[in-house]
Amino acid sequence: MAEQKVEARFVGQSVKRLEDPRLLTGRGAFMDELRVSNMLHAAILRSPHAHARIRGVDTAEALKVPGVRAVLTGEDVRRMSRPFSMAVQIPVRYYSLAVDKARFVGEPVAVVIAKDRYVAEDAADLVQVDYEPLPPVVDIEKAMEPGAPLLHEELGSNIANHRLLRYGDVDRAFSEADRIVRGTYHFPKYSSTPLEGFAVIANFDPITGLMTIWSNFQGPFIMHPVVSMALGVPEHKLRFIVPADNGGGFGIKSSIYPYMTLIALAARKAGCPVKWIEDRKEHLLASSSGTDRVAVVEAAVKRDGTILGVRMKNMDGVGGYLRTPEPACLFRTTGNSVGAYRYQHLEIDAYAVMANKSPTGPNRGYGCQQLYFGIERLVDQIAKELNLDPAEVRFQNLIRKEEMPYLTPSGGLYDSGDYPEGLRKALEMIEYDKLRQEQRRARAEGRLFGIGLATVVDPSVTNMAYITVANEPEERARPDYNFKAGSGETAAVKIDPLGKVSVALNTTPEGQGHETIAAMIVADELGIPMDDVQVLAEMDTATRVWSITTGTYSSRFASVGTSAVATAARKVKEKILKIAAHELEATVEDLDMREGKVFVRGSPGKAIPLKRIAGIAHWNQARLPEGMEPGLHATTMFNFPTAKPPDQQDRVNSSNTYGFIAEAVAVEVDPETGEIQIKKYVTVHDCGTILNPMIVEGQVYGGVVHGLGGALYEEMAYDENGQYLAATFMDYLCPTAMESPKLEIGHVVSPSPLTVLGSKGCGESSSMTTPAVIANAVEDALAPLGISINELPLTPDKIWRWIRAARERAGRGGAG
Amino acid sequence: MKIEGAYTFEAPRERVWKVLLDPDTLQRCMPGCEKLEAIGPDQYEATLKIGVAAVKGTYMGKVAIADKEPPARYRLLVEGSGAPGWVKGEAVMELADQGDKTLVTMTADAQVGGLIAGVGQRLIGGVAKMMAGDFFKRLAEAAKFSGGAA
Repeated sequence: MAEQKVEARFVGQSVKRLEDPRLLTGRGAFMDELRVSNMLHAAILRSPHAHARIRGVDTAEALKVPGVRAVLTGEDVRRMSRPFSMAVQIPVRYYSLAVDKARFVGEPVAVVIAKDRYVAEDAADLVQVDYEPLPPVVDIEKAMEPGAPLLHEELGSNIANHRLLRYGDVDRAFSEADRIVRGTYHFPKYSSTPLEGFAVIANFDPITGLMTIWSNFQGPFIMHPVVSMALGVPEHKLRFIVPADNGGGFGIKSSIYPYMTLIALAARKAGCPVKWIEDRKEHLLASSSGTDRVAVVEAAVKRDGTILGVRMKNMDGVGGYLRTPEPACLFRTTGNSVGAYRYQHLEIDAYAVMANKSPTGPNRGYGCQQLYFGIERLVDQIAKELNLDPAEVRFQNLIRKEEMPYLTPSGGLYDSGDYPEGLRKALEMIEYDKLRQEQRRARAEGRLFGIGLATVVDPSVTNMAYITVANEPEERARPDYNFKAGSGETAAVKIDPLGKVSVALNTTPEGQGHETIAAMIVADELGIPMDDVQVLAEMDTATRVWSITTGTYSSRFASVGTSAVATAARKVKEKILKIAAHELEATVEDLDMREGKVFVRGSPGKAIPLKRIAGIAHWNQARLPEGMEPGLHATTMFNFPTAKPPDQQDRVNSSNTYGFIAEAVAVEVDPETGEIQIKKYVTVHDCGTILNPMIVEGQVYGGVVHGLGGALYEEMAYDENGQYLAATFMDYLCPTAMESPKLEIGHVVSPSPLTVLGSKGCGESSSMTTPAVIANAVEDALAPLGISINELPLTPDKIWRWIRAARERAGRGGAG
Repeated sequence: MKIEGAYTFEAPRERVWKVLLDPDTLQRCMPGCEKLEAIGPDQYEATLKIGVAAVKGTYMGKVAIADKEPPARYRLLVEGSGAPGWVKGEAVMELADQGDKTLVTMTADAQVGGLIAGVGQRLIGGVAKMMAGDFFKRLAEAAKFSGGAA
């Protein structure tokens, strides 16, 4: 980046969030508040079967209900739209509504459009669907077996995607090993449960052909062309509007686009605007979730704990359809597959498997919690089998500071970091040696006390090229192959005639405080008070400059979003300084901005207020330097030079900035109830330059509690018939403030050389480590009983059963 | 979901057998049964109004009786669907003498689907047991009554 020294007055401070006054006083404007005239309401009828052929849909009774305008069925959807495009070319047709078969409980089967939601729901009960139930398959490994019920007969199997990725010389690593350590780990299907569920309003203007869709979509805006193609509405006639207030997304709202498409079709059929607000049951049943995975992992290790190489077989359950961006859960982590470790030889056998469950997609930490549950559990297993301390094994293998920037064998370019320092800090904060002594005392008293560690790389800002790793290199080598690569984000800054500043974001924030951070950055860059900056976060694809990668996901804002904002502000500043230089008869190099003025360095008396410069740019355009365009504004699209396509060896820099997390946790397990109590939770983060410590702290807390859900409570459970068992918050347990551990948070700061401010993403945070670190701590606690933790969530009933079984084994062993 | 139960009827086996298979009595005793109409030998169309927790609704379906071994054993097949989802089940009923009383043993296996499974699964076992208990209590009363009248 060009050196441009800015005196930071706000960046780095815990500036209070600009969003909070309106949110805390109930003045936020969410989708449900939004009304369009002549708007009707939709209720969605959903399949009660996990797998069934739809022989017919009878809407006659529903249409007789007063107030019902129309019913949209599979036939309509087949006629009016095309299947969604996918990352891989397979004969799977995924529409916004079931057209031939229902493939999961909760799949939309019909949409009733009526004058209000009450009428629509009552009428939906009267739609008669003739189902022919088919045998379902729920389990990932069973779905892979030959002879398993087929979800998509044309495909001939339930495996939607398979890639074998090999880096380095894995066979040699395994032949040189002193020991092979193995584990099989089951990662559960869970979600984010944002406060606000999905919400869509669609309006089609038959005169102009313009389809406007308001929704709480969070990006990536690659879904704009995807929806355009599905609807057959050309992209300049398709307008997405996302309100500034969005009640949480965490990746889940990336997957709202099938519903945007469905409600657009409903609006077209009804001939007027249609609104659909998802209820909580629908959200838990059929919105989206993280991907469940079975991982068979093995490591080739030396006696001293050095890892030579790793083989993993990752089997992802993607639900009834391969919904874009899946199979991305398998590949989003390609560049950081080795985690924070130095081993050079790696094999990943990756499968995306369809089964009769709801489709999956991005969920905070996408791919990382699945990956690190396997790797971090295995590292502890290595320590156990070699009789080494798990901290020692990690130090032995962590990438070192002097190796940065570090190129991983799978193509990741770790931009900065000091991983050993992060782990040292975590161990120091938790007083590791003292804690191990305490553990020895606790064990002597018969208590189940355990310590867990995890050290992981926290990737941010995906390079969309990673998804093309789902295709074979031969396919990518074809001349007609459409490569995808890049990570760009846009921002616009303008100064109006009286000198006040507006910033337009396209980052579709969902509560992370983007408005605050953008205002802090622009105020710093231009040397003005934050009050003089207004940030507009409402996104509108018709009026904003945006791109495929635009949106909130993979912790983009703190890294690429802020870089776009700072760059736009700097462009405007450049113009301000040129006008000022012209006015003050000085050179640009001698000028700087502070307190709303441009002044000559060294002679602060020689100054011109920003207001006056804005006045010249707008009111007295003739006074501008020769050849200069009037006005004061700039729009940028910031991209990373590191976001390149994969090479023929499948190496790809799947993200752009890479942070680090080290965690140390102490737990105690109650042998009588199986309850896990978190005694201490230390979490150390390196997210580069910290822009607002208060917001980072909030993200760390949120990440830990989110991960805690997956570790201890949450599971989108299905029975063996594919029936969904967790459609309410009484069945799907989310941690609340009561369950949240008190955190001790530490930081290591390794600024990124790639971002304008040195910051990296931190939004996914501990959601990727908590499941692993809790599992490690619980296994350590249960070590005296010889219990291994290979699955989540660790509910008390499971722990209790394992303890009982272990005691019975021990009892039998003693008797025999 | 398996439901098992045993109920003592204060009536001789032959009479209990008749009561258990009498459509009018069945309709009166079956909780929430609004209609039970014969559509063939041992085949009925039924309308049931059942609520599990917050999921209340009407189920329309079929009831069939099979493998009759009077007065000892028969199978009851039920399937129904409605707005809250679907139910499918099979029960084996066995009658045994117990002095001058009759012991009826039920071994049932039921599947539920749709919304009812998603929100009611935790409660459904309990509800089903309660409903079965209720059903048999009413049947036992009916058997006593029909005994008195005979």
